[in-house]
Amino acid sequence: MALLPEVKKDYGRIKNYVNGEWVESTSSKDLDIENPSTGGIIGKVPMSTADETKAAIEAAQDAWLSWRETPPITRARIFFKLKELIEANFEDVARIMVQEQGKTIDEARGETRRTIENVEVAAGIPSLMMGYNLEDGAAQGIDEDAVISPLGVFGVIAPFNFPAMIPYWFWPYAVASGNTYIVKSSSQVPLTQWYLFSLIDKAGFPPGVINLVNGSRDVSDTMMDHPHMKGISFVGSTPVARYIYKKCGENGKRVQAQGGAKNSLVVMPDAVLNRTVSNMLASFYGCAGQRCLAGSNLVAIGDVAEPLIEKFVEASKRIRMGYGLDENTNMGPVVSAKAKEKVIGYIDGAEADGAKILIDGRGAKVPGYEKGHFVGPTVIDGVTPDMKIAQEEIFGPVVSYLRMDSLDDAIDFIHKNPFGNAASIYTQSGRHARDFRYKVQAGNIGINIGIVAAMAYFPFAGYKDSFFGDLHGQGRDAISFFTDRKVVITRWF
Amino acid sequence: MTEYDFPECTSFGSVIRFALELEKAASNVYDELAGRPNLASAQEPLKALSETHRKRSELLEHTRREKLNEMILEPIQDLDSSSYVVETEVPEGLDMAGAKAFAGKIEETSSRFYVDSSKTAQSLLAEAARILDKMGKENEAIKAKLESL
Repeated sequence: MALLPEVKKDYGRIKNYVNGEWVESTSSKDLDIENPSTGGIIGKVPMSTADETKAAIEAAQDAWLSWRETPPITRARIFFKLKELIEANFEDVARIMVQEQGKTIDEARGETRRTIENVEVAAGIPSLMMGYNLEDGAAQGIDEDAVISPLGVFGVIAPFNFPAMIPYWFWPYAVASGNTYIVKSSSQVPLTQWYLFSLIDKAGFPPGVINLVNGSRDVSDTMMDHPHMKGISFVGSTPVARYIYKKCGENGKRVQAQGGAKNSLVVMPDAVLNRTVSNMLASFYGCAGQRCLAGSNLVAIGDVAEPLIEKFVEASKRIRMGYGLDENTNMGPVVSAKAKEKVIGYIDGAEADGAKILIDGRGAKVPGYEKGHFVGPTVIDGVTPDMKIAQEEIFGPVVSYLRMDSLDDAIDFIHKNPFGNAASIYTQSGRHARDFRYKVQAGNIGINIGIVAAMAYFPFAGYKDSFFGDLHGQGRDAISFFTDRKVVITRWF
Repeated sequence: MTEYDFPECTSFGSVIRFALELEKAASNVYDELAGRPNLASAQEPLKALSETHRKRSELLEHTRREKLNEMILEPIQDLDSSSYVVETEVPEGLDMAGAKAFAGKIEETSSRFYVDSSKTAQSLLAEAARILDKMGKENEAIKAKLESL
């Protein structure tokens, strides 16, 4: 089948968007933006300087006072306009994402939809931001109100795996509730946000309300150090999440830092096997395993182990790899040569530890895309809980197969892992499902669902080393993170 | 001559792409028949059938954009698309009976495709499955209309 057309072959050197203007970075350091499917260079991203970041923060601070005085319904109208613009350019957003990140067009369309959903939910800000009050709440004749107020300038430091959606877990809620904002997109995948900012530019936000600064650590550190910044949202690895949590804490800033994951999918003997296997394929191989909600450990309970592995291996062999702009592709490459090397290192390690590689994706080749960073579906049997492959985040299409005697054993195994992002159970038993959702210490629980991706009106949760902070992205949690409660006690003489 | 690219159906996107190609083919076939002088008496209803298929394409585009949920985006491994490819080149010299038979074959094949793909799509999304199933039933209604010309 013919490939869908690329939006552009070469996007050139992208600019920052500061104070309502497109600004060329003065930095002499650029990074190449690579298409991970073809290995071709499709643009350059500047590593913006600390001074450029400060200028964006100051523009956001200047814009804040009048933006917070803009009525919520007026702010909401701009989000309705933004939704229209993204809808009108839906396919371009999705295709740029495929070009720079490597995911499939279906995955990219799904991500674009989720991006829009966050805009839609944030557009409900007049209702979401209402405070509460109590007549005679303080004493007879003395009323008490809690008013929800914005705080100032916030920012996001975004990861590479969801180039469109993840900044939208945060910034629409921040800006809709009257704050101003800085987006630092991933320097590996900056094009999607850059393109979305071209739509933001047309939506009608006043200058300085929402800004884009491309770059790396200089930008992030400046955001975390600057006194005008009120808080930071982050999604990425656990070591960096921990660093950001600490640094923001030291600087007195709010922080929500989403870290890594090691998600287990537990299959009970009473699971509906065909549906279970099909759903798990999406979890393990979707986005080439580079979701923080991706399945990584497949835990079979009791006598389901043999029929399950047989069906799962058979179905895994039929996963079609390729360039995501081919609509037949089920799985794209991992994001970079370095990512591929890391994933292969984990497979090598499991083999050295004595596990058995049932399907080996290390030598995967896609005709016509020899320079792409493809790792094929990999299924590893004989994995035991003490092996590194069962414990650490791989971020690739690798399935570690573990066999256990009981649900309690599986829950115990999940709890021994420092991460607590997601876990799923496949069963027809309400009792097992209830035990699982009640006992498992993970922020996102799936019952017969392998990718527990909260919708925009629910928080994207996370426990233990998968999340540092209190309030999560999306929905009401996000509104609470970006606002404070001001209590007013009133008495009239 | 319009080119068609009927893909293999291995993903939600490719199922919708296949369906879009079917709709484009049906719409073009009815346009072609409506333009034939010997079928002039049926020109208007044939044009209307073409328009019906064009509108169905819009519904499919909408389904692809609005009904896709990446949470349950499962690979499709059991739909053999080769059995649903339709003949798109309208033979010269068709009379009314021949035209009905030619277009009717497209409707029959499309109906079979939608009904079968709706079963597959149930693992993805009930709503998408319902839309596909409804479209399959519509093909039968379109075929009945065609036969009444």
